Amino acid sequence: MIKLKNVEKKYRRGAEEVRALRGIDLEIQAGEFASVIGPSGAGKTTLLHILGCLDLPSSGELHFDGLRVDRMRESELVTLRRNKIGFIFQQFYLIPGLSVVDNIALPLLFSKNKPAPGRIEELARQVGLSDRLHHVPAQLSGGEMQRTAIARALVNDPEVILADEPTGNLDSANSEKIFDILHKLHQNGLTVIMITHNPELAGRAGRTISIKDGIIEQ
Amino acid sequence: MSGMLKLSVQNLLRHRTRSFLTMLGIAAAVGVLFSVFSFNRGFDQGLARELQATGLHFMVVPVGCAHEVAALVLHGTVVPKYLDATVIDDVRSTDGVEFATPILVAQLPNPDRHRIDLIYGVEMEVLREIKPDWQITGEIPTAPHEMLMGYDVAEHAGLTLGDEFRYPAVDETFVVTGIIGRTNSQDDAFVYLDIATAQRLMDNPDGATAIGVKVASPERMGSIISELEEAVPGIQTVTMSQVMNSVANVAASAKSLSLAIALVALVIGAVGVMNSILMAVFERSQEIGMMRAIGASRWNIFQIILKETTILTMVGGAAGIALATVGARLIENYVRRIMPYVPGGDMLSFDPLLALACVGFALVVGVGAGLYPAWKASRINPIEAIKGS
Repeated sequence: MIKLKNVEKKYRRGAEEVRALRGIDLEIQAGEFASVIGPSGAGKTTLLHILGCLDLPSSGELHFDGLRVDRMRESELVTLRRNKIGFIFQQFYLIPGLSVVDNIALPLLFSKNKPAPGRIEELARQVGLSDRLHHVPAQLSGGEMQRTAIARALVNDPEVILADEPTGNLDSANSEKIFDILHKLHQNGLTVIMITHNPELAGRAGRTISIKDGIIEQ
Repeated sequence: MSGMLKLSVQNLLRHRTRSFLTMLGIAAAVGVLFSVFSFNRGFDQGLARELQATGLHFMVVPVGCAHEVAALVLHGTVVPKYLDATVIDDVRSTDGVEFATPILVAQLPNPDRHRIDLIYGVEMEVLREIKPDWQITGEIPTAPHEMLMGYDVAEHAGLTLGDEFRYPAVDETFVVTGIIGRTNSQDDAFVYLDIATAQRLMDNPDGATAIGVKVASPERMGSIISELEEAVPGIQTVTMSQVMNSVANVAASAKSLSLAIALVALVIGAVGVMNSILMAVFERSQEIGMMRAIGASRWNIFQIILKETTILTMVGGAAGIALATVGARLIENYVRRIMPYVPGGDMLSFDPLLALACVGFALVVGVGAGLYPAWKASRINPIEAIKGS
């Protein structure tokens, strides 16, 4: 489903050139649940951004569903992200003034897709937020905010969910709930790739990708 | 409300004070712009109306400054020059003149009230012809010791019909036989006496500051004026359209200045909008990065930000029009106090087309100011924005 061939990613930090990824070869199969682990600065987030077509390799090839992503134009990348990829962030990034329902529906503003009747409510139910539909983020707990962000990632029916430390800001009980939701999504056939610093959660994913100094170790 | 509009409104509501102050800047600028345009329009219309209402076609005055003549015609300036006594006969005998009437404008001390009254001497029998729009309570004077009072003079002096009023400087007492209804013009500030009485009081038995002339056929006015100026030395004639141009020229600089101030205020308001939106964009760069990640195109981001500027400018503009309309009376009173001449009537009447044009203009300027922040937001690199967290 997603294939990286000898992917390098370099960027400048002041006068210094940083090689965030060094010749990565990686293949993610449809329906996999993979965790990405590694120390800070290892290149996990850069890898996730490339897997999510948010960033492009400096060199090498990136394929998504057989398409050469590294040769795509900006507008094609937007369409790909919009229709096939769902992002979840550690900081949730909910819009403060919007209700849970409106936050979940946010990606639909850009895709111009009309959700099926009851679709938003159904997603909220799936993540356990049926009784919080009209609450704004300030009225939610951290776990509830992350569950809203998960529902938002699902609203366009993506093929893959990319989660960047989704439990990083949560206590263990809420972390467990979030992991259970991601696990269920995987069981329903969705591809899930999750960065985590929690080795126990990483171990429960079907596959663990360990990265260090921009190189995949296994 | 559409999703994107709702998002833009929510973004503005996040910083209510900032949004309110930015909107206030736009409201003030649009309010001033609307008031200035309304006033300029009202001024021109009022001036034309006032000159038409004189019932005269031109004035004959001693040779001098055209602006002085305009001031004389419109608000009775005391001009220290008089026409020769024979001029009135020459004018009256000119072919095509329907009637000619002498006018004497003078000052008379009123020590009881610590002021100097402006006296307007005129032939009472032609008063209705030269001031056809006046609403007079009582009667036009018919005897030498009767007076007609302008609204403001009567009100300040507390005089009503039938009251007697004495000028100690000339040791004469007059009876108020009529009071003119408020005209909102300089006419309100005069005491009107028969010309013969005014000439006697001023010790100038045949004196006239000007002669008002009405011609039988206005299309012949040019030839009548030429004939008159050739026949009578030491005079100049000023038509009402020349007076209008003269006043318009004097007023033009004040109008241009006020318009420039309004435009500067609008530019300042637009800079305020740009600053406010730009700050909001910088503060929300992570959020914008997130939106780009979940499928927003650069155009989507551009639209969201531009909608915010549009809302700010439109609401601010509408508020400015509302404030200017509500405060029109106050603004007009203030302008009347500081400007040497303002025609009668409402200067700041509400014109919906003008209001729309002002909001439209503000919208163009405001949206122009929003283009840079919107472009800046659309260029935010989602990776850097998200990493910025």
